[in-house]
Amino acid sequence: MDLENQQRVKDIAESTPAEDIIVVLGGAEAQAAKLMGDTVTTGDPTFAGPLAGVQLGLTAYHAVEPEFKEAVDADVYDDQVGMMEMVLDVDEIAATMKEVRGE
Amino acid sequence: MSKKKVVHYINQFFAGIGGEEKADHEPEVREGVVGPGIGINAALGDDAEIVATVICGDTYFNEHMEDAEAAVLEMIEKYDPDLFIAGPAFNAGRYGVAAGAVTKAVGEKLGIPAVTAMYVENPGADMFKADAYIVNTGDSAATMGEAIPALTSLALKLLKGEEIGTPDEDNYMARGVRVNYFADDRGSKRAVDMLVKKLKGEEYETEYPMPAFDRVDPNPPVEDMTKAKIALVTSGGIVPKGNPDRIESSSASKYGKYDISGFDKLSEADHETAHGGHDPVYANEDPNRVLPVDVLRDLEKEGAIGELHQYFYSTVGNGTAVASAKKYAEEFAKELVEAGVDAVITTST
Amino acid sequence: MCTIVPISLTVGANRIVPTIAIPHPLGNPNLDPVEEKALRRKLVEKALEALSTDVDGQEVFEAV
Repeated sequence: MDLENQQRVKDIAESTPAEDIIVVLGGAEAQAAKLMGDTVTTGDPTFAGPLAGVQLGLTAYHAVEPEFKEAVDADVYDDQVGMMEMVLDVDEIAATMKEVRGE
Repeated sequence: MSKKKVVHYINQFFAGIGGEEKADHEPEVREGVVGPGIGINAALGDDAEIVATVICGDTYFNEHMEDAEAAVLEMIEKYDPDLFIAGPAFNAGRYGVAAGAVTKAVGEKLGIPAVTAMYVENPGADMFKADAYIVNTGDSAATMGEAIPALTSLALKLLKGEEIGTPDEDNYMARGVRVNYFADDRGSKRAVDMLVKKLKGEEYETEYPMPAFDRVDPNPPVEDMTKAKIALVTSGGIVPKGNPDRIESSSASKYGKYDISGFDKLSEADHETAHGGHDPVYANEDPNRVLPVDVLRDLEKEGAIGELHQYFYSTVGNGTAVASAKKYAEEFAKELVEAGVDAVITTST
Repeated sequence: MCTIVPISLTVGANRIVPTIAIPHPLGNPNLDPVEEKALRRKLVEKALEALSTDVDGQEVFEAV
């Protein structure tokens, strides 16, 4: 996750309780999703940004996961994510995100 | 028994100081861990701990190698460490050169076990693998998760004075050291076994890989420069403004061929740099600082050279695979020869 | 023409002219434009000299 976004997440996490935060990710591949997901849970795995060694323990979902899809307006989802849902490896991403959440 | 002491070296980026704009950061030392040191420290476990982290800007180190190395060594020595670790530098060229140089110096001048890690194509790898233990890593920080255990594994072996295995066993770059050992079978049998496998089309492993020399003989000098056609080629990523061919700022997948026949010099209005490996400000302000069209035009007008070739070839050298660079050059070298070019000036950043 | 000469030597370049700095190999933004261009010219002339010189293997041609 780029450094600016890491700082934004860090700032939000400092002023809001972790259980009130959900991070929704949009990476195109499972590997990218894992890096970003790990960054907001156990810390930046590349140790390059403000979240290096910082364990925020936030909950993260990817936009193509069913939990997110079912929680939002179906038409808006179709409009914004529908296209990507068709080309991304949804199963692999969902499986990776479960790992990130320690499920 | 107290933990062994480790000093860690990283660049300005992993220290969280900044990116390219801070690559001129002078050497400094901080107590404890910084950046990747957090992960390395955890992996070192009870055996050792990082007591200090030395940080230096990549550009500063490479442009002041002697002074920077001396300053860094002095900082390291003060902690009287039992082990030194640099990086991992992945494919960041200047970082790899710095990490390699410091690791070599620590080993030779301070006599302390020292190890670093980077990607095989990092220029620092070829430069220092014979003089320092360099663990293999992937080509980007995305592989930090695998790099840290690999690096600390070899580091701990060195710290404990354990026997270091072959490059394959301990995942470091071959240093060109030959070690004698007694094989079970004698040489003639091993050779015949290998030949039989080869004849059967089975896989076999050579006992002595042929080194990749990749050296070329210099071409004979240009005889009469006043009649010569000179071409410019750059890996500094100079492209027409807007980068119409979208040459990537790193790991370029292509090169561009651009017409300079209407230009007496390049300028901020018509050209820019696509290179993502250093602060682009100076090259964007005045592209002649990377592709010296202005000076060559003057020399052409004065008759010092016969002609400046109307096309220049450009790609971005940052993280670009050696095989790719070779491929591009083979292609456009043919065009240069066909165009009657006598000599080429290549510039790099 | 390059700033980190050890890299050029390692990759096997035959004729090498050391330059000023990574972000501005053929320039120096601290100089005024006239001086800077003169510096650039000096470096390029050294490159032309290198191209006109017979070399054995690898040779570094220092301009400044």
